[in-house]
Amino acid sequence: MLKTNTENAVAAIKRVRLWYVALFVVFGVFGARLFYLQVIRHSHYKAAALSGQLKQYEIPARRGVIYAQEGDKQVPIVLNQRLYTLYADPGYIKDADKVANQVASIIGGQASDYLDLIKMPDTRYSILKKKVTEDQQKKIAALDQPGLGTVEQDYRTYPQGTMAAQVLGFVNDEGQGTYGIEQFLNSDLTGTAGELKAVTDSRGVPLAANGDNIEKAPVNGKDIVLTIDVAMQQQLETILKQGVENAKSAAGSALIMDANTGAIKAMANYPTYDPANYGNVKDGAVFNNAAVSEPLEVGSVMKPLTAAAALDLGAVRANQTYADPARYKIDDHYVTNIEEDGGAGTRSVTDIVNYSLNTGATWLLMQMGGGQLNAKGREAWYDYMTEHYRFGHATGIEQGFEGEGYVPQPEDNGAGINLTYANTTFGQAMTATPLQMGAALSAAINGGTYYRPHLVAATIEADGKKTGTEPQVVKSNVVKSSVSTDLIKMMEITVRDHKFTPKFDQTRYSVGGKTGTAQIAKPDGGYYENDFNGTYTGFVGGDKPQYVIVVKIEKAKNGGYAGTAAAQPVFGSLAHMLINNFNVTPRQ
Amino acid sequence: MRPRLPAPTRRPVPGQAPAASTTATRRHRPDYQLLVISCILLSIGLIVVYSISPGLAKLNGVSDNFYVSHQLITIALALLAFGVVAAIPYQRFASLYKPLGIAAALVTFVALIMPVNPAYPAHRWISLGSFSFQSVELVKFALLIYLAKFLSDRMQAGTIGDFKSTLKPIGIIVGLLGIVVAGIQSDLGSTGVILVMIGTMMFVAGLPMKKVLLFGGVIAIIASLAVVSTPYRRDRLATYLNPEADCQNAGYQACQALVAVGSGGMVGLGLGRSVQAYGYLPESQNDSIFAIYAEKFGFIGSVVLLGLFAAFFSRLKKIIERAPDNYSRLIVIGIAAWLAVQALINIGAMIGLLPLKGITLPLVSYGGTSVVFTMAAIGMVFNISRYTSYSTPRITADSKKEGRAHDHRANGGRLRGAYHPNSSGRYGA
Repeated sequence: MLKTNTENAVAAIKRVRLWYVALFVVFGVFGARLFYLQVIRHSHYKAAALSGQLKQYEIPARRGVIYAQEGDKQVPIVLNQRLYTLYADPGYIKDADKVANQVASIIGGQASDYLDLIKMPDTRYSILKKKVTEDQQKKIAALDQPGLGTVEQDYRTYPQGTMAAQVLGFVNDEGQGTYGIEQFLNSDLTGTAGELKAVTDSRGVPLAANGDNIEKAPVNGKDIVLTIDVAMQQQLETILKQGVENAKSAAGSALIMDANTGAIKAMANYPTYDPANYGNVKDGAVFNNAAVSEPLEVGSVMKPLTAAAALDLGAVRANQTYADPARYKIDDHYVTNIEEDGGAGTRSVTDIVNYSLNTGATWLLMQMGGGQLNAKGREAWYDYMTEHYRFGHATGIEQGFEGEGYVPQPEDNGAGINLTYANTTFGQAMTATPLQMGAALSAAINGGTYYRPHLVAATIEADGKKTGTEPQVVKSNVVKSSVSTDLIKMMEITVRDHKFTPKFDQTRYSVGGKTGTAQIAKPDGGYYENDFNGTYTGFVGGDKPQYVIVVKIEKAKNGGYAGTAAAQPVFGSLAHMLINNFNVTPRQ
Repeated sequence: MRPRLPAPTRRPVPGQAPAASTTATRRHRPDYQLLVISCILLSIGLIVVYSISPGLAKLNGVSDNFYVSHQLITIALALLAFGVVAAIPYQRFASLYKPLGIAAALVTFVALIMPVNPAYPAHRWISLGSFSFQSVELVKFALLIYLAKFLSDRMQAGTIGDFKSTLKPIGIIVGLLGIVVAGIQSDLGSTGVILVMIGTMMFVAGLPMKKVLLFGGVIAIIASLAVVSTPYRRDRLATYLNPEADCQNAGYQACQALVAVGSGGMVGLGLGRSVQAYGYLPESQNDSIFAIYAEKFGFIGSVVLLGLFAAFFSRLKKIIERAPDNYSRLIVIGIAAWLAVQALINIGAMIGLLPLKGITLPLVSYGGTSVVFTMAAIGMVFNISRYTSYSTPRITADSKKEGRAHDHRANGGRLRGAYHPNSSGRYGA
């Protein structure tokens, strides 16, 4: 059917108008929708926009540097190194192969190592490599490649390598100090991050157009000066390692502290780890500073402290003798001595320490109770252990994860409390850390002042203000000073009568000590048959004791009594080292 | 590859004057308003691109003026295209459908065999240095001219509803487009634009209502199949239905667009204070330019822009109604459909009314090919506007003479005051 053009045109225009009605209806709908979005829902979208655009940045504060003593100087042993984390924003990278090749040529590795990371979907932050150096970072920046970026990150570096690793701790990936000083003083070292609030582009670059950006400068972390002496620490670590190996042991700890201030001069455990590569450590137990965090039944090194308590109470006199029966039957168990000590006989208080008489230590507890094992004696000894020697309390040293140890309550629990307490007099049935032993012995021989053991000699604030740490008295009159004098003599005799190579010149130097061969408690009760910890506590000085030394060698396997065979040689080496290299003031 | 299309009728059919002699109306002043509105829209796009260019450049690692200079070159090319096309009498274009069709097929073929950027794996572009050419734009243009000629001939022959002579060839074209543009190039947006353009032209050409509905139905089925068959389109549809459910991933662009538009408020953040442009909203200079514009200029600015588009399409409407012949009428309505659908799909996606399609906002978006071909099309309209008829409204009288009273009533009522729609019609009558 033919139609004229006019007829066609009229029909066409009709339809055009119909079409246009539909078009303008849609325009109207769009206008209404815009009104809804932009006027009615404006505040909702404004908030949504800001939540994405307004970014709060931390301006990181520089973490404090850690120093240690070297002679009269302080040298840094933990520093910061600014490195970069290289990341890709895959959406911006058009030619992934080319970029992967460029990256590989700058930071090493194969292009294929990076290709998948560069192409990673659904992310705007794909980490290609951490710890990129400044040089490499500059070369990356020179590529001017959209979608490649670097983020600064400070890493700890250790000029002395693994030295004092467990004392120092490390800083984890999140920037948190973990273990040791880094953990305990984390907030001081971290400082206060600055703040930058700004409307930014999607990559976080603040847009200059917004004048109401907020900026607050960071306060850098405090620098910490340790009491640790670098040379002493290094030598102690060498000697300890040798001692652990000689004893065919798996682990050991040793520390040297100033008997008159509580300052820790050297402290180490073996084995140790490299804090710069803490991520490579397989068994996290090695991060522990065992000397501070792992309490143990200390063994006979307790006896001098038991003697000092009995002397201080006036329960015994230093030159007193008594009839030792060689064994006591307590609560159906026997307290006996080692065979070499020769059976029953008349013994002196000094003999108790010198020959390490368990029965003697038990006898001391009886004297504290007026002649027998009773509540009075237990309470008196409990008071000395917990309040005078501070066992069962953390010392407060600047270390993460400090152990408190354990002291049994003196009340009769109906489960052989007298036997338990008899055991505590020679360092069993209670636990303490090597540090607690060192601090307690220091107090017992320095005239009776318990100083808080500490590692921080001074704190330097961001503005350069330096605050030294004064020795902090935790408890005075731990024992009378006359008791200290008596105890020093007894312990000097022990050193005199034991074999040291070379021997100590005790006319010039005061060197005293006591071994311990401690039974090791099984986790489910009872003790191991053939495993003993060798311990030693002792001191070096002149007219007055200067350094206290504590040694612990775990599960020594070199024959003989662990205290004598494993721990005593380490003490000997450390005491000689101090006398030879560290200006121990001789007797006048 | 090139589809074998039936040639439009070349010989004048009885009752119609030869194409070359249809310019009964004297050549007169063209519609400068149309040109002015177009240039305003171009300027708005340029201003937005200019204002976000430095920030965008920094983000993408190109020189500060990269985007502005590219857009300026594009606009210069576009104005050149406009000038050239506007200078060619529109009737001449009817004879150009063949070379244009061959060119379109060739360009599409090259785009299909060109190595593609792995980031955009669709074979849609031909790269020419730092410029790239989107093949589908030429396809649209060629198709427009071919269909105008083809359909006006069918109108003339009265076989517009005829299956064999009209529907079948168009069906073949639609099928080929479905395979190449929707299928291989995966460009559902452009396919939609072309389908609406074809549909509108057929509708205006007088396709019987039943077949209009049939055509609509077929397109709806094809569209749903296309959506269901492709995972990323399914995602987009899901995103569209509930964009804020997944703002981090699939709904990211949709959400960021809404945030940009919504945070603009009544008066906008101001020209230099867009934030969403800088990495939050993808394609901020291109497909998402409306959202950035709305963020900068607020509700008032958005309404002004919608108003400018409305004015633009109103100008087209006037020209359609006064078009010298059905051929030119179909060209202009085709262009109107093409640009309107493109604008609506683009804006609709930004305001959360339509799914994201990856289609430019005509004249405003950054993007060479689209702007150049849009201006070329406007050039053609501009040329046609020289020949519009301003004679007295004789439509009622004419219609009466032709009979069919029920049509006349409607037309007379609707078209009261309208100008004579078809000057050549008088010759034919």
